[in-house]
Amino acid sequence: MMQGIPIRVAVIFEPGKKAMPVWFQLNRRQHKVLETTYFWKDKVGETPHFHYAVTDGEALYELIFSPVDQSWTLYRQQTE
Amino acid sequence: MPRVIIHIDMNAFFASVEQQTNPALRGKPIAVIGSNGRTVITTASYEARKYGVKTGMTIWEGKKQCRDLILVVGDNRKYTYTSSRIVSMMHDYTPLVEVYSIDEAFLDVTYSLRYIYNAPERIAYLLKARIKESFGLTCSIGIAPNKLLAKLAGEMRKPDGLTVIRPEDVSRVMENLPVKDLCGIGGRTERRLNVLGIYTCGQLGRFPVKILREKFGIIGERLAQMGKGIDDSPVVPAEEENEVKSVGHSMTLRQDLSDRDDILKYLLQLSEMVGRRARRYSVSGKTVSLYIRFADYLTSFGKQKTLQRHINQSDDIYRAVISILDSVELSQPVRLLGVRLSNLNYHTEQLSLFEEERRKALVAKAMDTINDKFGDFSILFAGLLKNEEKGSRVISPAWRPQGIRNVHVQ
Repeated sequence: MMQGIPIRVAVIFEPGKKAMPVWFQLNRRQHKVLETTYFWKDKVGETPHFHYAVTDGEALYELIFSPVDQSWTLYRQQTE
Repeated sequence: MPRVIIHIDMNAFFASVEQQTNPALRGKPIAVIGSNGRTVITTASYEARKYGVKTGMTIWEGKKQCRDLILVVGDNRKYTYTSSRIVSMMHDYTPLVEVYSIDEAFLDVTYSLRYIYNAPERIAYLLKARIKESFGLTCSIGIAPNKLLAKLAGEMRKPDGLTVIRPEDVSRVMENLPVKDLCGIGGRTERRLNVLGIYTCGQLGRFPVKILREKFGIIGERLAQMGKGIDDSPVVPAEEENEVKSVGHSMTLRQDLSDRDDILKYLLQLSEMVGRRARRYSVSGKTVSLYIRFADYLTSFGKQKTLQRHINQSDDIYRAVISILDSVELSQPVRLLGVRLSNLNYHTEQLSLFEEERRKALVAKAMDTINDKFGDFSILFAGLLKNEEKGSRVISPAWRPQGIRNVHVQ
């Protein structure tokens, strides 16, 4: 089972396009998403998970969006 | 009408995906490895290949070739998702798509050309552009009148190449081509051909078939055809593939095991993985096999047992595996375990006449339903609770985007 930290994410939802994270909040700091470097989907049982690899220019983050409960989690963080 | 076959090969697939994911890795020598401590290099980036880093090398061997090699633990689900999406794009151009491996496929576009696309190069450029746009990845494409030549053409320009071998060019291309460049001719066959004075495909194509048949048996004729660039094998889409002959899983253990109880824990897990996949696709098997590789890596053991009836319940598979294990004396600690169910019967779902068997099947069905809903190993045999690694962690060469070969990897 995937574990992650629940986080606040500002997202642009556009018809016909995948949701695009714009910024997220971590440790009371707002991180602006400079680039979504990769996107992929998987499933845990019947629950789909949308993975976004994003960078704020300082580090690489893997954010997961669960459309079932509309929640975002930070799954991984890697300093570049 | 000559066929038009396209071969697509994703360039350094896993490594390229990781370089796209992490911009800091772009342009650098990286190697993708597994999460297990005893992993090997599964893919090296082109930058690493320049130093001689190759797939299958140990981390130590890779680092010896390139001191600055960056190791990245692979994310299999990222690769299976990307591969499935790319295969789905291919289906936009023809229903005849044969997935050869997670990063290679053949497309028969003969009939796509007549009405929709004027030239196969147009399909190739469209696919390249879509893959680049969606994932930032490059691929090498070969176009030719058959699969053998399409794969050969694809290998000619890497990375990001596009090579066309037209029917009228085949004999010219083959004349001086080394035989080892053909898919299917390995080092051993090459050496045996060299002994006969055959070094190029031109020489192979002209060599008397009778002698090739004497030396190589039934493949002698096939070799002669390959030398001439002839290959009649069709592009076989997933729905027309032969039914799988077995369902199996194996795992390299984090540390060598000698204790029977420790080995049994992993055999129960493998039996559950095999049983679950067999039940998901309504197959059952009569033969259960156990495969063991020992600590020295060189010695291995395999034994099978054929039962009176077809089974797909995990505990029945487990019991058969235990009886195989107990019939041998282990000469060394165990490094790798594999369980396989073969002699398969398809589309069988028969409730037993016996109450206990029926209840067991219903319990397994309930467990499968829960695991389908909440994820593999959400509910599991108590004996598996302490196993650190659960599920498949390696993408098998037989992996396919759909059907029984679509193993969910961690």
